[in-house]
Amino acid sequence: MASVKMMKVKKIYDNKVVAVHDFDLDIKDKEFVVFVGPSGCGKSTTLRMIAGLEEISDGTIEIDGQVVNDLQPKDRNIAMVFQNYALYPHMTVYDNIAFSLRLQKIPEDEIYDKVTKAAEILGITEYLMRKPRALSGGQRQRVAIGRAMVRNSKVFLMDEPLSNLDAKLRNQMRAEIILLRKKLDTTFIYVTHDQTEAMTLADRIVIMKDGFIMQVGTPAECFDMPANLFVAEFIGAPKMNIVKTNLIREGNRYFVTPFGVKIEVDGEKGDTLRAKNVPAGEILLGFRPEHVSLSDQGIPVTLEVNEMMGSELHLHVYTEDETRLIVRTPTVNLSRADRENLAYGAKLHLSFEGKVMHFFDPKTEKNLLCD
Amino acid sequence: MKKYDELEYLKLSKWQKFLYKLLSFFTSVPTRIWNGICSIGLFFKKIGVGIAAEAKDIVTTFVNGDWKTKLSYLVMGFGCLARGQILRGVLFLLFEIVFIFYMIVFGAEQIGLLASLGVQGPAREYNAVFDSYQTQYHDNSFRILLYGVLTIFFIIAFLYTWRVNIRQNKVAEQILRSGKKLKSGKDDLRSMVDDNFHRTLLALPLTGILVFTVMPIVFMILVAFTNYDAAHNGYTNQLFTWVGLDNFKTMFTWTAGGVNYSAAFGEILTWTLIWAFFATFTNYFLGIFVAMMINKKGIHLKKLWRTVLIMTIAIPQFISLLYVSKMFSLNGLVNGFLMDLGIIHKAIDFWGTPTLARIMVIVINIWIGIPYLMLIATGILMNIPADLYESAKIDGASGWKQFTKITLPYMLFITGPYLLTSFTGNMNNFNVIYLLTGGGPTNPSLSGAAGSVGHTDLLITWLFKITTGSDTKYYLASVVGIMVFVVVAVISLIVYGLLPSVKNEEDFQ
Amino acid sequence: MRKNTDPQAAMKQHMGLKASTRITNTFVYVLLIVISIVWLIPFVFIVLQSFRIESTHQESYLLPKQWGIDNYIHLWHTNFPRWYLNTFILALGVAVLQTIIVLCMSYTLSRFRFKMRAGLMRFMLILGMFPGMLAMIILYRVLDDLHLTGQYGNVVPGLLLVYVASSGMGYYVSKGFFDTIPKSLDEAARVDGANRAQVLTKIILPLSKPIVIYTTLTAFMGPWADFVFARYVSQMYQDSLNVAVGLQSWLATDTMIFNNYTYFCAGGVVVAIPVTILFICLQRYYVEGVTGGAVKG
Repeated sequence: MASVKMMKVKKIYDNKVVAVHDFDLDIKDKEFVVFVGPSGCGKSTTLRMIAGLEEISDGTIEIDGQVVNDLQPKDRNIAMVFQNYALYPHMTVYDNIAFSLRLQKIPEDEIYDKVTKAAEILGITEYLMRKPRALSGGQRQRVAIGRAMVRNSKVFLMDEPLSNLDAKLRNQMRAEIILLRKKLDTTFIYVTHDQTEAMTLADRIVIMKDGFIMQVGTPAECFDMPANLFVAEFIGAPKMNIVKTNLIREGNRYFVTPFGVKIEVDGEKGDTLRAKNVPAGEILLGFRPEHVSLSDQGIPVTLEVNEMMGSELHLHVYTEDETRLIVRTPTVNLSRADRENLAYGAKLHLSFEGKVMHFFDPKTEKNLLCD
Repeated sequence: MKKYDELEYLKLSKWQKFLYKLLSFFTSVPTRIWNGICSIGLFFKKIGVGIAAEAKDIVTTFVNGDWKTKLSYLVMGFGCLARGQILRGVLFLLFEIVFIFYMIVFGAEQIGLLASLGVQGPAREYNAVFDSYQTQYHDNSFRILLYGVLTIFFIIAFLYTWRVNIRQNKVAEQILRSGKKLKSGKDDLRSMVDDNFHRTLLALPLTGILVFTVMPIVFMILVAFTNYDAAHNGYTNQLFTWVGLDNFKTMFTWTAGGVNYSAAFGEILTWTLIWAFFATFTNYFLGIFVAMMINKKGIHLKKLWRTVLIMTIAIPQFISLLYVSKMFSLNGLVNGFLMDLGIIHKAIDFWGTPTLARIMVIVINIWIGIPYLMLIATGILMNIPADLYESAKIDGASGWKQFTKITLPYMLFITGPYLLTSFTGNMNNFNVIYLLTGGGPTNPSLSGAAGSVGHTDLLITWLFKITTGSDTKYYLASVVGIMVFVVVAVISLIVYGLLPSVKNEEDFQ
Repeated sequence: MRKNTDPQAAMKQHMGLKASTRITNTFVYVLLIVISIVWLIPFVFIVLQSFRIESTHQESYLLPKQWGIDNYIHLWHTNFPRWYLNTFILALGVAVLQTIIVLCMSYTLSRFRFKMRAGLMRFMLILGMFPGMLAMIILYRVLDDLHLTGQYGNVVPGLLLVYVASSGMGYYVSKGFFDTIPKSLDEAARVDGANRAQVLTKIILPLSKPIVIYTTLTAFMGPWADFVFARYVSQMYQDSLNVAVGLQSWLATDTMIFNNYTYFCAGGVVVAIPVTILFICLQRYYVEGVTGGAVKG
């Protein structure tokens, strides 16, 4: 129900460590934005600055057009779900959810309506009289969300809300958050270190590293056109293979030569290279594991580890010059005998296509095809 | 000594390693003390730099400020009042008025007298009413010193407030310039329970500490540089005055045959350290031992054993100490018992024999201390992860090895700071010594020193003795007190750096 | 606190442990019994002798030849009830005020990160290295100036003031406790619309029952045992003593011991009983506080 605007926001701790550098971001009304990055990248700090739990060292944050830099958390009209849920242990579930409403001095019957309604949506009606310690992790999570829901706040903040749940529950809650978002129809800012969560939930992803924004974009943009090497390796699992090689230009045609095999860069990628008139030279070549295929001839490799994922295989292989690569191949096309042959030490051949490659500058690590 | 790098060190044998560690500890002691002294120097340097920066800011604020700010240098709170921050302005102004009134009526005179601590002592003067000569009392050195210290505290508080007042003006100007609104009195009151809530909470405790701990300590440190004693009580007999470092000279010079405070101090300090060492470590290890016995697998009635020991904590120490002290007296229960049984024929003078008395206080202190240590050790033993023992068992460690390689290091790691505080606490353990022996038996070779020094006297009980009775020497007590501080500070400085668990407070959060 | 003995281990015990284990366990039992006796003996003795009425001095035998409560009745006719009242009022006052001050101090140091925090804590650490006795001399003189000493028959307010005023320095144990309450609870409450004071009263205090009880209990027990300062301030005026100074004064010289010994025992029992009962009831919190305090440093 509100936009969030961050201009040159900075966080410097007392010990002079800079946690967040000049953070610029415009979050539109009702947008679902995910901050993602490895631990220590400043994503939680940024979220906590929006919430008012960390002081802002420099820059301004506006919520709904109002500068909130000097406002206490309670005056910012936000709701937040914490990683460890932060349920008040001495209160029942009902009291936990009603806490913020009581502080606003809302009449008890109105509180009753709101709390029971939220509990119904989240399916925790039968636990309303229990204390948090009598609940399972997933139930606690729902209470925490319920507590944030009843506030009718302008912005909904979530700090790694799923990371304390087991894998199965996490998938389930992820789906529920998507449904919740449809129901609440408000601005969401969500912090996670898990790129899958980011990809599945976000309208826009903000990828961070060491306090810097690496890329802002829709999940598809970040996946298809990573702005730099970091984003390329961070988004997508298993991670992208990176190989140092040469970009060769012969007239109007571009080639790469990984492991001595000459492959033409064709399709859209080739067009962009031509359009930007990229010079030949040493580059970092990136290709995703699913864009490599096993074939009868091509680059000779040796299989080291074979991970059976069910619908697909993740093959860890190394080439003759000891470069390690990951290959992802669907099980559907492989016969039982084929699969059994994919054992330690098996000799295989790989081939790849030019139209799904990524090219990075070895020095700046920037994507050569991005502006 | 030779420094080994990591790989060289690993090649050493067990004893060499131990020796190496021991040596490197002792060689590090001077560095540690030096670093401590340096950090004091740095501290003062920081203060100096801070004050210089403040002074500079005060000047620039004046130069750049508008007339409201400039006038606030003279009339505190004027800027606030002129800019509509009534509450703040009134408080500043009120404080200034109170301060000026206090200084004129009372403070200035006290500060003036502080240099001499009073000039006119009591004298026989002619009294017209009674038509006779009567003793008239005039200056009171004690009060002059006390109120002098108070006034200095008050002046510092005023200077600080004045500085805050100036900064407020500067901040207010900045805020107005950027087009924002100033905080109203209502905002200020609201912030007392919110972003300034810590100030509200700390106001009372810190005032208490300032008035009832800091001020007395400053006062007593000053007393060490005067001749305040029973003969110079500053009012009814003679005034006392500043004597410079004379008292420290008295304490630390040695003259053959004369009154030797240095000898008394040396001997008492030695016993204090011995006592603190034994009192701390006997309790510590025996406490762990008892805790381990109670928690041993297969021992029943754990709760009963524990409750028996805990009960002894509940009973006020003075009862048990006094009782035990009388139990071992010449005609006490123990002697009577032993004589009735025919084990001894003459009563043992437990408290009259120096070495025996010293052993007795240490043993009885074990009796006092073990319940606490048992509790602490039990809590920690429960927290040692069981898998450590399991993996040690798989690695083939015996029970004794498990104790020395897991239990003890873990305990020492966790309780490091506790051991340090309990060591220094024992150095100042007044109750046990005073209630058991009263410091006795008297040490005739130190009879020259004040306060009839005894063989079990700690520095703290000596200090007490000097300040009570008819021949009180407050100045000497102050010197002893300062020395206790120095000893405790040095020990803490040396040991503190050794403790792994204190390095980072936030690690535990 | 008690470790669960799993059923298998219990089975094993019944079927016969290894001989060596059985021997060590027997040895441990013997030791524990000896320890219990040694620790309890003085208290049993005190109780026994408080009921002995054939003589008032120490005897070399334990069981009274004549039993009676005369010693307790005698207490009524001495200043003991007055001492008791002095101490009790003091203990109540200290329990309330000291708890408030300690909690304010420790909560602030645990939860707020203000500019002077580290310096303040270091300052108090250094302050604590000065022997407290040094301050007593001047505090005594100040109280005397304020007419709050024994000669004015008015010691309780002065002692209360001195006991409570500096108690902020003993914040370590409760700060350690507050440190264990997750900070995210505070943050959640603040986001939910609570100001800092409401966070304290609505969230933290309800969760701090153990440490509040521990602090109150230790504060309550303090005045019963204080000896030095109470003695200073009382100036040995009989009406102004607390139980510790009063009972000690009964044993000051050998003749006094001869005349007062059994009265002292009776007085000791009367002092110990309420404190012990309170203590045993609240044992759990005390144990938590002590162990937590040592672990946290």
